[in-house]
Amino acid sequence: MAVDKMPRLIRDFWPVFQRGAMARIILTQIVIIGVVAAILILTNTLPITSMVLWAVIAALFVLGLVRGLMILGFSARPAKDLLTAVIHVAGEPTDKAFPNPNDKRYERNGFKVALQTIYELSGKTESIEPAPDTTQPSTNLATVATPAPTINSDSLKAALDSTNCGFVVLNHERKVTYANKAAPIHIDAENISTLSLNFNGKDTLEAWLNDCDEHAVHAEHIWTRIADRLPDEEGRRFFDVIATYDKGSTSETILTLVDRTSTYDISEQDLDFIAFAAHELRGPITVIRGYLDVLEEELDTVLQPDQHELFRRLTVSANRLSGYINNILNTSRYDRRHLKVHLAEDTLAGIYDTIKDDMELRAHAQNRLLSVNIPADLPTIAADRASISEVLGNLIDNAIKYSNEGGAINVTAAVKGDFVEVSVEDHGIGMPGNVVSNLFQKFYRSHRSRETVAGTGIGLYISKGIIESHGGNIAVRSEEGRGSTFIASLPIYSTVAAKLATGDNSNEGLIEHGNGWIKNHSMYRG
Amino acid sequence: MSVSKTVLCIEDDRFIGEMYVRSLKKAGYDVDWVVDGNDGLITARNKPYDVILLDQMLPERRGSEILEALRGGAEDLIPNSKVIVLTNFEQDDASRTEMQKHADAYLIKAEITPKKLIEIIQQLDALPPAA
Repeated sequence: MAVDKMPRLIRDFWPVFQRGAMARIILTQIVIIGVVAAILILTNTLPITSMVLWAVIAALFVLGLVRGLMILGFSARPAKDLLTAVIHVAGEPTDKAFPNPNDKRYERNGFKVALQTIYELSGKTESIEPAPDTTQPSTNLATVATPAPTINSDSLKAALDSTNCGFVVLNHERKVTYANKAAPIHIDAENISTLSLNFNGKDTLEAWLNDCDEHAVHAEHIWTRIADRLPDEEGRRFFDVIATYDKGSTSETILTLVDRTSTYDISEQDLDFIAFAAHELRGPITVIRGYLDVLEEELDTVLQPDQHELFRRLTVSANRLSGYINNILNTSRYDRRHLKVHLAEDTLAGIYDTIKDDMELRAHAQNRLLSVNIPADLPTIAADRASISEVLGNLIDNAIKYSNEGGAINVTAAVKGDFVEVSVEDHGIGMPGNVVSNLFQKFYRSHRSRETVAGTGIGLYISKGIIESHGGNIAVRSEEGRGSTFIASLPIYSTVAAKLATGDNSNEGLIEHGNGWIKNHSMYRG
Repeated sequence: MSVSKTVLCIEDDRFIGEMYVRSLKKAGYDVDWVVDGNDGLITARNKPYDVILLDQMLPERRGSEILEALRGGAEDLIPNSKVIVLTNFEQDDASRTEMQKHADAYLIKAEITPKKLIEIIQQLDALPPAA
């Protein structure tokens, strides 16, 4: 019996179901005629030898059977059509025709909507052919089987080439099988087309397709502000890229690229402005920081303790301002892919030493207990001193901001695999999970922090950018009401020294974009 | 011999220039201060300074041009001087690399205080002269 084996395909279900239903009809019919015959015989209405008895039983059997099968056919029809539709949508091979939603019968009894819904849910509407009997055009635009106007493929091609929207089709091997004129395509000497797009960080088309190959049948993804060339190249364009993925289809991946150069180019100029404004701000800060330093020392003997405290506050504020300007500048560079880290062999303790005084002053001025425990025997790391001190400053500054008066802030470091991990732990207000997931986005500020704590929302964004440019990682553990711990990892120098040596001391081998250098290890950089 | 060290400060911002000059003098240095690039180059060539503080954004002649003129040729015209580039301007990497090649230190002014600057001058002093 077919019941022994579970149906593997959707189309295997119907014959099994049909046989079961027919067997039930026949069985119940036999039972009915048996009961009727028994009544007639036992009540002596008709003797068992009577021809009439047998005629009645035969008629009853045949008529009942016909009636049962008719009812089965009628009532199971919608189920059968739905199943056929599902078989087609699932892509199973079948010789049965698509149930056509435009069939008159379906229009009359209202079944059309159900079929349409299935086709729409599947997203396969385009593959449904209009039935030959559909002569009158449907008024419903959403109708799946509306006969498409026949388009000459040449005129379609011409139309696609005249739009400034790029269209690119990739097959399952991720080779470009079609690209219109506007698409950013690089054609090499062997006439092979490749897509030329510079994706940001790890969120690349490649990564998404890898993910799709493993987990998705149909998928869609959107990237915004993707450039086709490097910042200094001529004719650089920016796109919003919309990708649709359809596993197993000949056009497995279709990319639609909306040219947004005019919008994003303006923001490029904005970034230039930001960079320029930041330089201008540095002049006054130089003087403020410089004279504060000089004055406090020169007035040492005449200042009262509370006046010393005021000086410290001025110094802390000027230092923070200077730090924020660096954040803004680096963010504007990072966003334009101009951020370059100059990796050199360095120690975490040495880097922290450059900001130690400033951090201690900040913690002290805001009444926090800063304890820093960076073991002296940690291996050296590959780091850009100025950038990493900026990151440490940001993390400690945040810990101060988001903790309470008298709160302890612990900075520790340890080796983990090929990395040195530095942790900044506070016991402050902490964050709920939904905040944590957005934390490293630009301009992100949690609802609560927006109300209570001043900030720009770029500190963590640029910290992440800097750490990742080093080939490291930044993460956070947080519990609402109990505090947060930020953990940044930096590569141990010996694990990357070979790469650095071969790449002009650049970090190109470590990261996807950015190409830093170090010319002089002993160069003093402030 | 207790001849005080000589410093040439090439800086067009009056506030910043005065600040450095004041602190350096207090620390016992013999300081000359010029405010434009041409004067800077001439002064640097005429007198052997121990330390030259060089701004980048200068009238008449950029700091990078001055450095190129002094050290870019076949002969180092200031073999006994230490050059500290001091700037608040974010140079592009190419010209910055070029400057760093000829400089002994490259600092962002907003990041240092006069006290820190003096520490750095002392550190550089402790190093052997550039080869």
